[in-house]
Amino acid sequence: MTPARRAVIFAAIGGAAAAAGYGFHRWRGTTAASTTDSSIAEILASRLTALDGKEQSPGDFLGRVLVINYWATWCGPCREEIPIFVKLQREYGDQGLQFIGIAIDQADQVRRFAAEFQINYPLLLGGMGSIDLSRRAGNKAGVLPYTLVVDRSGRLVSGLAGGISAASLRAQLTPLM
Amino acid sequence: MLLRWLIWCCVFGLGAAQAAEPELLEPEKAFVFSARVSGLEAVEVRYVIAKGYYMYRDKFRFTLEPALLAESGPQFPPAKIKKDEFFGETQVYRDEVRIRLPMRSGTPVDRMVLTAVSQGCADVGVCYVPLEQKAELRLASIGAFTGDSGGSDVGLSQLFSGSRDVTPAAGAGAKGEDTLIAELFGGDTWLLIASFFGFGLLLSFTPCVLPMVPILSGIIVGRGPHMTRTHGLLLSGLYVLGMAITYALAGVAAGVSGTLLSAALQNPWVLGAFALVFVVLAMSMFGFYELQLPAALQSRLADASNRLHGGHFAGVFAMGVLSALIVGPCVAAPLAGALLYISQSGDGVLGGSALFAMALGMGVPLLAVGASAGALMPKAGPWMETIKRFFGVLLIAVAIYLVSPVIPVSMQMLAWAVLLIVCGIYLRAIDPLPSTARGFERLSKGVGIITLVAGAAYLVGALSGGRDVLQPLSGLRGAASGPATAAHAVNFQRVGNLAELDLAVRAAAGKTVMLDFYADWCVSCKEMERYTFTDPAVQSRFSAMIKLQADVTAGTPEHQQLLRRFKLFGPPGIVFFDPAGREIQGLRAIGFQPADKFVVMLDQALGAR
Repeated sequence: MTPARRAVIFAAIGGAAAAAGYGFHRWRGTTAASTTDSSIAEILASRLTALDGKEQSPGDFLGRVLVINYWATWCGPCREEIPIFVKLQREYGDQGLQFIGIAIDQADQVRRFAAEFQINYPLLLGGMGSIDLSRRAGNKAGVLPYTLVVDRSGRLVSGLAGGISAASLRAQLTPLM
Repeated sequence: MLLRWLIWCCVFGLGAAQAAEPELLEPEKAFVFSARVSGLEAVEVRYVIAKGYYMYRDKFRFTLEPALLAESGPQFPPAKIKKDEFFGETQVYRDEVRIRLPMRSGTPVDRMVLTAVSQGCADVGVCYVPLEQKAELRLASIGAFTGDSGGSDVGLSQLFSGSRDVTPAAGAGAKGEDTLIAELFGGDTWLLIASFFGFGLLLSFTPCVLPMVPILSGIIVGRGPHMTRTHGLLLSGLYVLGMAITYALAGVAAGVSGTLLSAALQNPWVLGAFALVFVVLAMSMFGFYELQLPAALQSRLADASNRLHGGHFAGVFAMGVLSALIVGPCVAAPLAGALLYISQSGDGVLGGSALFAMALGMGVPLLAVGASAGALMPKAGPWMETIKRFFGVLLIAVAIYLVSPVIPVSMQMLAWAVLLIVCGIYLRAIDPLPSTARGFERLSKGVGIITLVAGAAYLVGALSGGRDVLQPLSGLRGAASGPATAAHAVNFQRVGNLAELDLAVRAAAGKTVMLDFYADWCVSCKEMERYTFTDPAVQSRFSAMIKLQADVTAGTPEHQQLLRRFKLFGPPGIVFFDPAGREIQGLRAIGFQPADKFVVMLDQALGAR
C-alpha cells in the first residue's frame, strides 16, 4: 500500500466515522426529542382540507412564526378570541406572523363564520385526529380553544388551553419576530 | 443566542405542559357517563358533571343498537339558562343530569349498545369536542351499568348538522389524520420516492458523501490517462448503483430489526462504548498505531482493485457496495425515517425503493466527479496526512459530544479544553515562526493560537465551576461580577409564593411595583441584570418603585402557581402593579429587554394610575 493510498483510506475511515457520529447525533436527536417536539412535527405535517377544498398542512407555513389555533364555531370561548387573531394577523403579518385556524367543525359553518368575522388567515378543517394530535402537544384534556405558538424553526414555544388575551399573546410573539 | 433560544424553548415547553393544564379535567372525568335500563320501557342516561363544567342540552345525541328508541325522542329535565355572548340564551346542565330515553314497545332483546354523544364546556373558558361514549345494556340483570367511553370518530357531522336524525354516522365527520410519513405522502409512491431522492441530494452536501469522493477518484485515476468522459460517467454510475442497492437492502432489513436499536441508543453505557470506539479510531488517525482491516477483507479489497485494473465493471460496483457499508451509519437519521415508514406500511418494497432513490440522490455529486473524468478530483498528497489528523480531532470531538449528555458539565469543559489545547499545540501555536514562513504556515499558526486560547478559556471555565459549555467563562463572570453588580444594581425583595407576593404588593400601596421572574439557568435574566438593570436611566426609574423578585430556579409547585397567576411559562418575565396593587394589564417584559426599551416600559408603569 502506498502512503497516498493509505492516506485515502484513513481519510475515508475518518470521514465515515465523523459522518457516523453526525448521523448518530441526528438519529439520537430525533429519538430522544421530547414527545412534544415530535407531536409538533406531526401537527405541522398533518394534511388537512382547507376551505377551498385543497389539502394543506400547517407546516406549509414553516419559516414564519406560527400561531395554530384549534377552534370551532360552536365553541363560545373560541369565537371570542378570533377578532384578536384577525387584528394581530393584520398587525404582524408582514413581520412573519402566521395564524392558522384548525376548525373542528363543518365546512359550511366555518365558511359562514369566516366571512362574518373577516378572518384573514388560513382555516383548515380538522377532525378528531387533529384533537388527538393537539393532545399529544400538550392539550391533555383535548379542549377548545387550544393555541400553539411555534417558532420559525418549527419548535413549540407555548401551548395554551382557553382564551388568550391580546396582550399576553403579543408579549409572547414579540421576542419571536 | 442559540443557548438562549434553547432555554426559552425548554422553559416554554415545560411551562406549557405544567402551567396551563392541570386544572382541566379529561372529558371522561368532567362528564361521567353511565346508563341503565329503567323498567322495560326506557333507558336512563346519567351524567355526573364536575364542578365548574356544564353540558349543552341541545348537543346530546343518543343511538341504541338495535334501534329501539321511541320516535318521541329523549326526555330532558329542565335545564338552566346560560347567557352566552354569541349564542344568546342556551340551556345547560350542571352537577348532574338524568335523561330518559323511551324505548319502542316490542320485542325486547337482551343485549343493547347505547351510544351517547355529548358536548360540554368549562367555566374557565374552554370547550370539549363532542364526546362519544358507549354503554352496554343487558335486560337480564337489573341495576346500574357503567358506561364505557371511547374516543369517537363519529359525532361531528351528526351533532352539528342540525338534523335530528340519530342514525349512526360511522366514519363520516372527522377525517382521520393519524399522520405519519405514510399519510404525509398521501400514498403517492412516486412523490415519496422523489422526496427521498431530493433528501439524498441534500445529504450529499453533508460530510456523509465526502469520503466517497477520494475512493471514486482513486478508481478513476486507476484507469489511467485514457479516461473518457463517458467511461468516467459509466464507472461512477456503477459505483453509485452499487451503493444504492446496498442502501435499498439496508432499508428493508432495517425495517425488521430497527426499532430495537433506537431504544438502546439512550443508554449511557452504549453511548460510552460508541465514544470509546471513536477515541480508538482517533488515536490511529494521530498515528499512535495503525488500524488494519482483517487480512481476509484486505485481500478481497485488493482483489477488487486488481479486477478493476483488469477492467471489470463488477469491481467498481463492488466498491460502491463497500463504501455504502463504510458510510452507512451516516444515513442513520433518514434510515430511521424510512424505517418508520416501513413499520407503518409494512411495505418493504416501497421502503427499499425509497432508500434506493435516496442513495441515487447522494450519488449525484459523485456522478459529476466521474463525468468530469476526475477533473474535479482532489489529488492525493501530503495534505492527506493533515486531513488524517483533522479527522482524528473530529473523532475525539464526536466522542466528547456523544458522552456529554451523561457526564457533568465541568467534565465536558475539561475534555474540550484538553482537545483544544492539544490541537493548538499541534498547530504550532507556541512554536516560533521562521521569518521565511509561507502564508499557509502563518494561517495555521493563527488558527492554532485561537484554538489554544479557546482551550485555555475552557480550562479556566472548568476550574472556576462554569456551568455553561457555550459560555465557558460565564461561571467566572457570575463569580466575579455577578453578585457585585447585580446585587448592588437592584435591591430586590424576594417573594417565594403567592401569599408573599400579595403581602408585598399590599405593603407597597401607593408605589408602583415591579415583579421580576428570575432563575439561575435563565440566560436572559442574567443579561437583564447585567446590562439593563445597571443602566443609569433604568436605575433612576427603579428608585421610584418597589422591586420584587421571584427566583423560580427550583420550580416548586409554589413557583408554578406564581407563574400561572401571570400566565407566564417561565422566566424571564417582568410584570408591574399600579399603586393600587392591581396588575397593569398589557404591560410586561418577556425576554431580554435592552435598557432603552425597558426605560420606556418603566415610564409607562410609573405613569399608570
